[in-house]
Amino acid sequence: MSARPNRRAMLMVGAGLGALMLGAGGYEAWRLFGRHYPPTPYDDLLSQLTDREAARKIGSAYSASHPEFSARSAAHLLRSRIRANDLRPALLTEIADNSVIEAGHWVMPESLVLLCAIAAKT
Amino acid sequence: MRGSPLNFIDARQVPSGTVLRPDLAIIGGGPAGISLALALANMQIKMLLLEGGGMEFDSATQALYAGTETGVHYIPLDATRMRYLGGSTNHWGGWSRPLNESDFEKRDWIPYSGWPFPRSEIEPYYPRAQALIEGGPFLYDGLADGKLPGDLLPLGKGGLYTSFFQFSQWRGNPDHLPTAFGKRYAQDLKRIPNLQLMLNANVAGLRLAEDVRWLDHLDVATLSGVKFTVKPRHTVLACGGIENARLLLASNDRAPAGVGNSEGLVGRFFADHAIPRSTATLVVFGGKIAGFYKTNLNARGTHFRATLAPTEEFKRKRRLLDSLITMDQRTELDELGRAAVATTSAALGIDASNAKAYALGCGLELTPDPYRRVTLTGERDVLGMPRLKLNMTISDHDFASYRQTLVELGRQLLASKAGMLRLDRKSRAEWLGVLDWGNHHLGTTRMHQDPKQGVVDANLQVHGLANLFVAGSSVFPTYGASNPTLNLVALTLRLADHLKGVFR
Repeated sequence: MSARPNRRAMLMVGAGLGALMLGAGGYEAWRLFGRHYPPTPYDDLLSQLTDREAARKIGSAYSASHPEFSARSAAHLLRSRIRANDLRPALLTEIADNSVIEAGHWVMPESLVLLCAIAAKT
Repeated sequence: MRGSPLNFIDARQVPSGTVLRPDLAIIGGGPAGISLALALANMQIKMLLLEGGGMEFDSATQALYAGTETGVHYIPLDATRMRYLGGSTNHWGGWSRPLNESDFEKRDWIPYSGWPFPRSEIEPYYPRAQALIEGGPFLYDGLADGKLPGDLLPLGKGGLYTSFFQFSQWRGNPDHLPTAFGKRYAQDLKRIPNLQLMLNANVAGLRLAEDVRWLDHLDVATLSGVKFTVKPRHTVLACGGIENARLLLASNDRAPAGVGNSEGLVGRFFADHAIPRSTATLVVFGGKIAGFYKTNLNARGTHFRATLAPTEEFKRKRRLLDSLITMDQRTELDELGRAAVATTSAALGIDASNAKAYALGCGLELTPDPYRRVTLTGERDVLGMPRLKLNMTISDHDFASYRQTLVELGRQLLASKAGMLRLDRKSRAEWLGVLDWGNHHLGTTRMHQDPKQGVVDANLQVHGLANLFVAGSSVFPTYGASNPTLNLVALTLRLADHLKGVFR
């Protein structure tokens, strides 16, 4: 039995290390250059948005025509409607129940619009 | 002075002072007049069809249609119709679709609504009307039940569905243009032995008997100065939704308010289908949509196109007017639109990377309005006929009704995860800025069993005048969203059956 390290094992270790370094580099790059948002009281809700910048555009259009909009009240309402990570089924239920409204003239589920409007306020 | 079977008669060749005595005079050679003459071809009666124009467009004749328009912008009165044999089928687009059942109903949310009979009354006449317009097999919404070159847009459960138009397609015409009734049926009309068809014969007056309960004679004039008289036993006025009213109103020598106008209804309730452009933007998340939504296609022996229409149930439940939504040209989304699509599709778990957007057009039914009307002016045409003024209106309620229909379409697209919708018009100014009209002239001699509420009765006989009838879409009490030609032809064929009974 040879004490020499198996060449294949060494290659795998090397590849693993390389991947780790790439991952670390990627994370560092994201940390340095990626979009960051300061913590908000609504992060539990906002985390369900895939593209927060796009959402903010919709939200701004909505709140421009609804000056009475309150992020706090909306968040309260949304938390009563949406359980954690449960946005999609909640939206489909809303759509079926006719709870659609206009945001920037687009017909959208009400909760999604409110979520966008919260994003626009933070 | 025989016209048929050799040729039509040119009224300019008729000696002035002539008196003609047909059993039936048909005034107007448009789709109603021609359909009526064809339907009565086998009757043993002498028919005279009086057409104001010739076989082709003539600017001097067309100028007889000139008038003025006030109120909401409308098409000039001498551009919205055609005065030669075939009438407005000389410039129609061929769009055809039967009226819906609810269009005939008394709808308590629509004032003045309700035909004197249900759709089943004209249902038997649709196949023959379909044959006359050359629309192929009578399929319409039945197209959805068979094989189509593409899939229906998934809309989910809700208030709108895919509804189909069929198109008139002149079979012998290599360009597949819609059937122009004058040219298409000229030979058929010439072959009717008991029909004289007179061109360039403008009826300039309906003259009542002294007791004002009987139409005694018609004054006919040509632009060349010939004047003669027609004394028919019965007369059918089939000049179109504007000119029918003009002729009745202008014939005011014995009846000061005009013929058939003792209740002041003639000329009121004018309507057209509003067709505002680019009313909404529809995004298809997957990017693919069947071609028959975007253009006319041939399948199953007909030329057809899909539209999106409110269901009968939805209109009744929401108390809405009828409408039809067409998918028009491709359009690009702005930054907000791209954000809306990205946000919504992601939230619904849909890939919208190939999404495509389309501008939507539509055809809207108007609420009947007695103040949307044609009236006589002091100005006269070269034949001495008073010209008309049209006061056009459209209410904010009518736009709002359609907007509700669009919101429901948007909701259904989301429900089926097929796409989403933007409402592009909100304020009245925005709607009026994109407003166009269908050139469908409706309602000025509305049908109602009660003489106080209608100009003609359910048999299209002018109330109080035993020998005068009106054919065409001027008798429609409400309008639906379907183009009128197929429907007015079906209604005219029903009138033909009634007249067969009258002449027996």
